[in-house]
Amino acid sequence: MKPGVWHRLDVIARGLFPAFSVFILLLFNLLPISVPLLSTASPALPLMAVFYWSVNRPDLLTALTAFFLGLLQDLLTGLPLGVSSLVLLLVQTGSASQGRFFHNKPFSVMWWGFALVAIPALLVQWLLSSALIGAFLPIKSTLISYVLTAALFPLVAWVLARAQNTLLRHI
Amino acid sequence: MAQHGGPQQRIFSPLRTALHRFAFILLIVSAFGLMLLGKADTVLIERIRAASADLVSPIMNVVSRPAASINELTEQATNIFNLYEQNERLRRENRELLAWQQVARNLAHENARLRDLADYTSPPPLRLVTTRVIADMGGAYAHSLMVSAGSRDGVIKGQAVMSDEGLVGRVAEAGYQASRVLLITDINSRVPVIVENSRDRAFLSGDNTDRPLLTFLTADAAVAPGDRILTSGHGGAFPPGIPVGVVSSVSENAVRVAPLFRRHQLEYLRVADYGLQGILSDQVMRRDQQNDGVIPNGVGIVPNDGNDAAANMPTVGPAQPTDRLP
Repeated sequence: MKPGVWHRLDVIARGLFPAFSVFILLLFNLLPISVPLLSTASPALPLMAVFYWSVNRPDLLTALTAFFLGLLQDLLTGLPLGVSSLVLLLVQTGSASQGRFFHNKPFSVMWWGFALVAIPALLVQWLLSSALIGAFLPIKSTLISYVLTAALFPLVAWVLARAQNTLLRHI
Repeated sequence: MAQHGGPQQRIFSPLRTALHRFAFILLIVSAFGLMLLGKADTVLIERIRAASADLVSPIMNVVSRPAASINELTEQATNIFNLYEQNERLRRENRELLAWQQVARNLAHENARLRDLADYTSPPPLRLVTTRVIADMGGAYAHSLMVSAGSRDGVIKGQAVMSDEGLVGRVAEAGYQASRVLLITDINSRVPVIVENSRDRAFLSGDNTDRPLLTFLTADAAVAPGDRILTSGHGGAFPPGIPVGVVSSVSENAVRVAPLFRRHQLEYLRVADYGLQGILSDQVMRRDQQNDGVIPNGVGIVPNDGNDAAANMPTVGPAQPTDRLP
């Protein structure tokens, strides 16, 4: 039996959801929120989503998608171009290849995994941005950003897991 | 997939892995290529950045409203708690301000009379565009905001952006309906400033902390904590005399300035079109040179260094009359 056009469109639309969720989180990162701490260091929400999807559905968030999402992040936030592209690309490739390790393990293992992956990711971002700007950026806000990123991961992962269960169960 | 272990699989599987690896390497190379491109061709990148800001601004414009109203609610709650204290403070401030108002009135009259006597040409009037903050690129690496005004509203690159309190930054890229504002705390920001009392000139250089540095101060400059810092108007980028900050600390090797705005509370900003276009692209500079006479002369508000200021402005010659100004 051949699936109909609508069915195929539906599958494509659902398949785009992981990339779309990263985009939404990227915009969420940009919201002007009046918390003093968040204006100097914000959690890297797109990084969490890229990690989550490349562990759970690497087929739906490919390296190319991660690259372009990183490019969009650089363009929107005014970072030197290419830095986030590289970081998200490396995170995607690295976690997709280790994805099987996290399957059928408790969530805390994935949390630890993310906390480990986020260290080099943010460090590379800090180093490359500093190199391209030509001066050392304050490492303190990177540290705060890391702590926020690691601490908020369960929340984001929970939302993404809910979405995965409802939208992507059959594809 | 694994059950199709036919001859096709045996041929294509390694091919596919090789292709994947090749694509990965290609993407890595293009990421580095982008970094080089970003360093080299700034005009193109600026256009793309402006276009991407335009792309998301309709979404951010809508989404930032509920965020703003939530912020307002929390602010109201804290206000209620501090009502008494705030009232006291405002009364005190009001008394002081009334005294200042009297002083200002006297000085304004005196100033007007002296200007009449000295045939003084006033600096051009400011054209202000008020706009809303729709995104805050909060983060460890970039200090910038997105505002909901662009070339549609007359905003162009390089214009000064102010809050009620003082200078916030400048327009880094202007799209059609949204622009990115580089804050004075960003590591890429340099603002020519003067110390209010001593009239010492310096640059305010951001370093991605919330206390930018005062650089290029002369060795004998007299700066003390509490001194107010204003824009100097040198280079023609910003209108002179906009309050920028207050000196917060003076040490052997660094003078730091506390900006007057609080970043997490910025909501409405004003973009000042001063008519002078200092830190601008060559294209605009060329266009300016064509219609020389239209450029307003901003020299004059900063005392005792009129010659230097004129020399800094490439399009304003000493022989140029400024009679078209009101």
